[in-house]
Amino acid sequence: MQHDVDFYRPNTTVELAEVLQKTAGRIVAGCTDVLPGMRRGKASMDPLVDISQVQELRFIREENGRVQIGALTTHADLVGSQLLNGAAPGLVEAAATVGCPQTRNRGTLGGNLANASPAADSAPPLLVLDAGIQLVRGSTRRSVPLKDFFRGPGQTVLASGEYIEQVFFDRPSGTWGMSFFKLGKRSGMAISVVSAAALLALGPEGRIQTVRMALGSVAATPVRSRNAEEFLTGTAPSPESFRKAGQAALQDISPIDDIRASAEYRRHSAGIAVQRVLEEAWAQAARRKI
Amino acid sequence: MTTMQVNMIVNGRSTTVVTEPSRTLLEVLREDLRLTGVKDACGGEGECGACTVLLNGLPVNSCLVMIGQMEGCEIETIEGLSKGDQPDPVQKAFIEEGAVQCGYCTPGAVMASKALLDKNPDPDDEEIRAALAGNLCRCTGYSKMISAVHRAAEELKNGN
Amino acid sequence: METNLKIIGRREPRKESWSKVSGSAQYTADIVQPNTRFGVVVRSPHHHARILGIDTSSAVSSSGSVIVLTAKDVPGARTFGSLLQDQPVLAAEEVRHMGEPVALVIAETLESARKAAQEVRVSYEPLEAVFDPVEALKPDAPLVHADGNLLANYEVSSGDLKAGFAEAEVCMEENFSVQRISPGYLEPENSLARVNPDGSITVWVSSQMPFVDRQIIASVLGVPPEKVQVKGAVIGGAFGGKEDASMAVLTALAAWSIHGTVRIVNTRRESFVAHPKRHPAKFNIKVGAKRDGTLTALQIGVHMDTGAYASLGPAVGQLLTEVAQGPYHIPNVRVDTKVVYTHSPYSGAMRGFGSPQAHFALESCLDMLADRLGMDPLELRRKNLLQPGNALNTQVVMDESVLSLAQCLERAYAAREKLKQIQPGPGRRSGIGMALAMQTVGLGAKVPDNSTHRLEWLPDGKVLIHLGASDLGQGLATISEQIVAESLGLPFSAVVTAHLDTSTAPDGGVTCASRMTYLVGNALLDCSKLLKKNLIEQAAKDLRLPSEELQYESGEVILSDGRHFKAGEFASRAAEAGNALQAEATASFPYPEETTPQHLPIGMPHVKFVFASHVVRVEVDADFGTVEVKDVVAIHDVGRVINRAAVEGQIEGGIVMGMGYALYEDMPLKDGKRWVDSFTEYLLPTAQDVPGHVEIQLLENPDPGGPYGAKGIAEIALVPTAPAIANAVYDALKVRVRDLPVTPEKVILSRA
Repeated sequence: MQHDVDFYRPNTTVELAEVLQKTAGRIVAGCTDVLPGMRRGKASMDPLVDISQVQELRFIREENGRVQIGALTTHADLVGSQLLNGAAPGLVEAAATVGCPQTRNRGTLGGNLANASPAADSAPPLLVLDAGIQLVRGSTRRSVPLKDFFRGPGQTVLASGEYIEQVFFDRPSGTWGMSFFKLGKRSGMAISVVSAAALLALGPEGRIQTVRMALGSVAATPVRSRNAEEFLTGTAPSPESFRKAGQAALQDISPIDDIRASAEYRRHSAGIAVQRVLEEAWAQAARRKI
Repeated sequence: MTTMQVNMIVNGRSTTVVTEPSRTLLEVLREDLRLTGVKDACGGEGECGACTVLLNGLPVNSCLVMIGQMEGCEIETIEGLSKGDQPDPVQKAFIEEGAVQCGYCTPGAVMASKALLDKNPDPDDEEIRAALAGNLCRCTGYSKMISAVHRAAEELKNGN
Repeated sequence: METNLKIIGRREPRKESWSKVSGSAQYTADIVQPNTRFGVVVRSPHHHARILGIDTSSAVSSSGSVIVLTAKDVPGARTFGSLLQDQPVLAAEEVRHMGEPVALVIAETLESARKAAQEVRVSYEPLEAVFDPVEALKPDAPLVHADGNLLANYEVSSGDLKAGFAEAEVCMEENFSVQRISPGYLEPENSLARVNPDGSITVWVSSQMPFVDRQIIASVLGVPPEKVQVKGAVIGGAFGGKEDASMAVLTALAAWSIHGTVRIVNTRRESFVAHPKRHPAKFNIKVGAKRDGTLTALQIGVHMDTGAYASLGPAVGQLLTEVAQGPYHIPNVRVDTKVVYTHSPYSGAMRGFGSPQAHFALESCLDMLADRLGMDPLELRRKNLLQPGNALNTQVVMDESVLSLAQCLERAYAAREKLKQIQPGPGRRSGIGMALAMQTVGLGAKVPDNSTHRLEWLPDGKVLIHLGASDLGQGLATISEQIVAESLGLPFSAVVTAHLDTSTAPDGGVTCASRMTYLVGNALLDCSKLLKKNLIEQAAKDLRLPSEELQYESGEVILSDGRHFKAGEFASRAAEAGNALQAEATASFPYPEETTPQHLPIGMPHVKFVFASHVVRVEVDADFGTVEVKDVVAIHDVGRVINRAAVEGQIEGGIVMGMGYALYEDMPLKDGKRWVDSFTEYLLPTAQDVPGHVEIQLLENPDPGGPYGAKGIAEIALVPTAPAIANAVYDALKVRVRDLPVTPEKVILSRA
């Protein structure tokens, strides 16, 4: 890896905007994906823009029911957040499975999303929260639904000179439950073979009023499963309906063979993963009701 | 070749390096500061934890940290753990439990264990395993490391 | 059995532990020498290719003082190897595996060496490659070496196989396969070499075989061995993978060519593809038995993929052949093992040395046979267990020591009962599996199997062990110190071990083959006896008394009138006179001609064995096929425990290595193009994967020939684990995976 590269270190978002205006730099923070990528020759040595000191971008807060998470929030921050434990337990569960303590102390939510791996652990929970992502470029801000943010493996809608400021979602309300499940090849430091997140809200008679389902590692990007959602909405929850929802979800995925698993195994596992997260989300909703 | 001055605190001492900012903390510690306790065992992928240091009190893989990011930061390496001749309870426990075989993963595992006990003085088995999940060991099978952490926790509780 | 031992059997903390937990331990890459340059190896990107030309001009001009070496720059022997000298220092005309060294770049900094390495232009003509040992033996297979792809073939038979199958009431034929394994020691291979003003060369290398390295370096440089000094540093794990001279040779060559100091450190990727692996293998097993479980015939055909170069492949093939029949008395056996070259990264010594492969196949097969017979798998084993007086397929006759095997099996019954009581977690199914294992100790008949060490009494009263063999981190120095301390009646703290230096240490041989405790211990016991004698003689001389009037006790010389003197005094006087108080002794592995069969190739048979059983409880998620190992009971026949923590450490580490073998580790070719070569894809077990409970039962039935009765533990520690796990998975789900690793995917797809 060569070290002949310019390095910028803005301390504020104003400084960051200035830097990005004058140079097409690569934004780095935790470096947990960037550095290995550079070593494999997969990332070019653009000028580096280190934003790890831009404290303005590191926050977890809630305003009027809207939860906002700054891009520099680490996975460890997510795991330790009381607010998120209440408002988005599935996201906390997911963050706890990322890598290991060392990588969780450095890896950021913004980095996880910008890296846009189809296996990004934070994506399925955020997708079922119907999260939006706030992007900033110079003085222009735009927000994009997270489901429209990913374009393909390693590809997002981020324009040159644009950075992620925050991710936001509305705190779920009513009788709701949320869960995340990740299937890895070992218990520690596991990259997901299949991951799934579900958010379920029950209506007055216990029927499913809202259901959102998302899957990771089974398509070119993390995806929502419309088929599972449509199948379940308005129905009475049951293990059998969840099993069928799992089958319905298979229509929304296009898994590939890779070093971790075959498409066939992913297909088999995705259906069950959907079932599991639905059961867990339902159980949580039931507990909330009491 | 662009270089940058970085002022940090390493093992309690003010330390300044002038070097290419994209070099890793691991390289700088080993080559420039001659603190060779941190090891490169996985090729800088953050997969093995043998390079673990405490950065502002939190365990991180120094192979995934660029030195240019270290301005104003506090870094603690294995060399800074013992106070003079007095081993840290975690170091003592690792020795006494027989948790050290080839020792290559040991500095990283000790730092990760220390970080755990700093945050959670009474961890159970699950929590210890989770804290050590990022430290690969090929010799010990982790059993004695886990009992070493329990032992260190006991010692710390008893005010030793 | 001696019970009055003060130090043997205890958990003495290792003296080197402090330096390791404090970060001050000097591994080879930590050693600093002035004016060190850096070497980077240019490696083949092709599996198999002809080298058409190497253009170094761009590299040499890339920055000042870059030197590029190729095959023609090797002054001495251009190929090397432990058994067959078939491995080029640098490839000359042909490359035979991806990652093979082709050129060596030396520069002032690591970064400039790397940059220059990228500028070396090698033009290749890619050739067809073969990666499967069965395919490689077909007549039209691409040749790895000119003499053909069959490197070695071992056929060992006993009895009458045809008759054996004829009298069988049940016959079974099954195929198994095991995968390529990387030793995965945390310290990548590396070396540092310095040419000295007097024209000698000093080489530091992380190695199991410093004296062999010395010979090979000398041969490659074309100099007498006396000009080469190999120094050991602290080693960060080896497991067999560091019985390979390639790093030492390249680094020495680099230093020699610039008449200076060079360091070469393998990256983890290089370590994966360019250093010995555990042999992948394919097994075909035919077994015949009576309905009551008596085995009447066993026929095993094995194809081992030894990769591009021989390394220790033939020896691994031999050991595999010997233990393939398992610890059972089977009257009619035929084992046919083929060690085959392919264009894969080469395999060589790796913990177990053929035994893990063989036991996975056989112990899986026996459970399948038990199932077929409607028999308890443990009963099937009991019915056929080796007894004293039984002969192995190699004609080696088992002595009373094999009774330990029966104990391993008996205790397995109790362990199984205990594990059966444990309830699985919600949504999980429990499965319990067991496997037996036998492992050989020593290098095998007709192979020089000696180990020489030396003790020196220091003026300060301490005793220094000039250990002639590498401590790999398993604790060899520590158990050596314990044995010396015990035999001299000294406190453990009074015995210390010198860092290995081939110019001062005697040749202790290669640290391998589970032989070190046995040989080193015996050599040191002889040294102790001799040292005591020398001390008395020195004291007699100094005190001008007849030696008969002097006695040794616990570090002192005692006179008949009761006066006593510390040994250090005499050591001091001896040292002053220029004649340090020392004693050297050599232990040899006994292969008595009267009892050692003589009809097999050199290296066969082995005559000493250790036994073990592992009983494992797994929990399986039937939906995903994921397997968690929850409980392990490991029962090991060790002869005598020298250091309790070290023996436990070997077993605990072995179990986890066995787990990795069973469930997670694999080094396949991705899309035919690249080998798995990083810890991201090659999954070692983490602390979160290991069993929650490991119970170790140590059987101490002293071996009359071992130091304090000790035998060996290093390799067997992992051998029964993988088959026990595979058997446990079957118990849980009635799914039999015949190809390691047992991945969740294979479990699910086998069910379908």
